[in-house]
Amino acid sequence: MNKTGFLYDIRYLLHDTGPYHPEIPERLQAIYKGISEGGLLEHLTLIQASRPDMKWIEAVHDPDYIHRFEEVCYSGKKTFDYPDNQMCTETYETACLAVGGILEAADRVMNGELNNAFCAVRPPGHHAETDRALGFCYFNNVAICARYLQKKWGIKKVGIVDFDVHHGNGTQHIFEKDPSVFYYSIHEHPSFSYPGTGREFETGTGQGHGFTKNSPTLPGQGDEEYKRLMERDLFPAFERFEPEIILVSAGFDAHVDDHLADMSLTTDGFSWIMQRVIEMAEIYADGRVISVLEGGYNLDRLPELAKNHVEILLQK
Amino acid sequence: MFVNRSMTKKVITVTPGTDLFEAKDLMAKHHFRHLPVCREDGLLFGIVTDRDLRSALPREFSKASAHPDTTKAQADVTALKIGDIMTTDLIKVSPMDTIQDALLLIQRSNVGALPVVDDQNRLEGIISVRDLLRAFINVLGIGEPGALICVLVEEKVGQLKKIVDAVTEEGVSFGSVLVARYWDEKKRAVFCYLLTVNVRPIKKKLADLGFTILDPMEWYMDQLPKPD
Repeated sequence: MNKTGFLYDIRYLLHDTGPYHPEIPERLQAIYKGISEGGLLEHLTLIQASRPDMKWIEAVHDPDYIHRFEEVCYSGKKTFDYPDNQMCTETYETACLAVGGILEAADRVMNGELNNAFCAVRPPGHHAETDRALGFCYFNNVAICARYLQKKWGIKKVGIVDFDVHHGNGTQHIFEKDPSVFYYSIHEHPSFSYPGTGREFETGTGQGHGFTKNSPTLPGQGDEEYKRLMERDLFPAFERFEPEIILVSAGFDAHVDDHLADMSLTTDGFSWIMQRVIEMAEIYADGRVISVLEGGYNLDRLPELAKNHVEILLQK
Repeated sequence: MFVNRSMTKKVITVTPGTDLFEAKDLMAKHHFRHLPVCREDGLLFGIVTDRDLRSALPREFSKASAHPDTTKAQADVTALKIGDIMTTDLIKVSPMDTIQDALLLIQRSNVGALPVVDDQNRLEGIISVRDLLRAFINVLGIGEPGALICVLVEEKVGQLKKIVDAVTEEGVSFGSVLVARYWDEKKRAVFCYLLTVNVRPIKKKLADLGFTILDPMEWYMDQLPKPD
């Protein structure tokens, strides 16, 4: 059985998005419930939130943006950049704590204390650009983690697998010129879903050409199509790239019962994806995986999805 | 929404063995600027454009005039075949790619038309800038992060206002709105490009108002024939 970290902290519940928003604290509670009722807590190493050194956030985001976020947040405004980004005065601190917790998980995976980790954080990150909050995201958690692994731990090649139903525009844009980070995303086709990027021909630019790969899926498609596309697009790409660690943008909103998008992935489909990620990590990355929560909004499905996700990380 | 709805299906093709003058005549006759080059079995081999022909012919003629033996030079030009000048490094699309895919691909690759091929590389049609302009008189605001929904409304005054009001009440901005014809003449398909990831409450609100939210796989930008 693997040594698996589980990042969870009640302070992640403090980011309040108001009464009519899908990205709510109950999502994390549902995830925690699934993992604890599944009897998995005793096997996991709990990681708590912590404040990161801001220089790691600045490794991805413009200092001006970070200051603007902080100011707008403490001014008491309810939205930031777009109405999607609902917030409260705790939002900035929560976003910092999410990053800090993930970097703590990264340290423990890198120093060998853990094989892998699941970071159940809010707010999510993959839509956040260097200078703009988008789609419920403020700091790009996974991108910051990738830069941290490179600068602090000397990792040369980071592989990112993003199976959130929406394309991670922020993560792609941050690394599209960078051949040291391979970004792979499978998502609902951008002509039908937010944010409208992640087309098949977006494959990276300049030096980074060939180090971005997108698998857009047509509305209504499910497990079989995901398997076909990942076998065609992801597995050969990682075989060539040989990532030294795999970061996962784990969004559970492609589930058939999640109505923020139109995909039909089943609970088993998610397990299949994660099992393949673990197998790739075993082959190329000494088993190192850091999975970070992105979307997933069906409170009835999140417990089972989180439980399975963590069980696969544990290889119980 | 898909390329096969907007592409030109009756495509005039040539073979690698066709000579340049014959190809030039075909283009002039049919007002095409792109001729897909297919093998006898229908598999796509290359493409030749009017520009390819223009640059191939005068150059060969100027060589010819400089040549002491004019007759031989003319023979050389005549011997030139489509296979010698065609582009084989093709940018292709499939029938189930979307119009937006084709639009962006044409824009970035600086070509005027894309051959449409099936999985076996068999030519199904060609989609040109002209085809896309027809389908995209109002281009959706796809440069900005947002999501598209399609609402079916009765063809009567005031429907769009209801939609705009409902979206505005949710505090969401429009990237663009496209009103398209639908196979049922009494209805209109309203495409709202919304600057939000959170389309669920808006879809629900519109459904509660009695509007039909069309399944994305049923979206078309052109007028549809009535289904059988």
